[in-house]
Amino acid sequence: MDVQGLQMTQNSPSPGVFKRNPPIVGEAEAIEAAKNGDSQAFSKLYALHKRRVYTLCLRMLGNVSEAEDMTQEAFLHLFRKIGSFRGESAFSTWLHRLTVNLVLMHLRKKGLNLVSLEETINPSEEDAPKRDFGSRDLQLTGSVDRVALERAVASLPPGYRMVFVLHDVEGFEHNEIATMLECSTGNSKSQLHKARLKLRELLRNPERSTEPTGINEVAV
Amino acid sequence: MSSKGFPDFDTMTPADFEKYLPDFFANGDGHVSTDPRLQTFLKNNPDCAALVRDLEAIAEHARSLFEPVEPSDAVWDGIAKKLKKN
Repeated sequence: MDVQGLQMTQNSPSPGVFKRNPPIVGEAEAIEAAKNGDSQAFSKLYALHKRRVYTLCLRMLGNVSEAEDMTQEAFLHLFRKIGSFRGESAFSTWLHRLTVNLVLMHLRKKGLNLVSLEETINPSEEDAPKRDFGSRDLQLTGSVDRVALERAVASLPPGYRMVFVLHDVEGFEHNEIATMLECSTGNSKSQLHKARLKLRELLRNPERSTEPTGINEVAV
Repeated sequence: MSSKGFPDFDTMTPADFEKYLPDFFANGDGHVSTDPRLQTFLKNNPDCAALVRDLEAIAEHARSLFEPVEPSDAVWDGIAKKLKKN
């Protein structure tokens, strides 16, 4: 896999979910040992981070099979690149960004053009959020069911899901998303807004988001 | 225009509001419902206020989405197999 284009800066702002994680006991030693080719140490790093990496892939891809494949790719890539980790940021943050970049590259290879989200993955008329405010008796406030929301997110068109997950779930800022997706910050804002509108619509009409998807297999 | 290219908050229509809503969310702390500049408008336009509350609820709940999930054992098996080959 060509990874020359991946941005592996260690000074970037930490993504929301990962920056709240405290250092993990034994991680630093495992990293140093893994850098020297210690397979046991690498196995330990896998055990420490597999859930986070896999969950991130699942959020971004909405599909169990693809998420497992990308988790495998992420750790294989980690094995090859761990020597370049200099500890300037938390290892989990570095691994998080490595994974995000790999998933984005995977999506580009699949033909999802992230350069122009608006034009290339604008959903069909049917998928686009309705442009109405809705009546007040259908308010969602205070009653958003987590499982229903996860299901709705999984059924979003890929472009909407990507920006929603990166911003609202992972905590990236619009300027960071714009850099990752090679689009404008305005485009990122617009896609996020449309994603939220679409989710509102799906939550008000849950039968539209009940089509089977890979992520439903693991929804709890 | 009142500020930062936004329309006049006193004369803004629901259509104006809808147009600028992504920017209202992106600026500040993302809580449009508590933006003092918009209080009068939201009070006079309850459907817009309901929309804002719904979108804020979705954004709020998004943070707790997707509890960490364990990948299947096949993932590590695949990694170990490929590492052995190299």
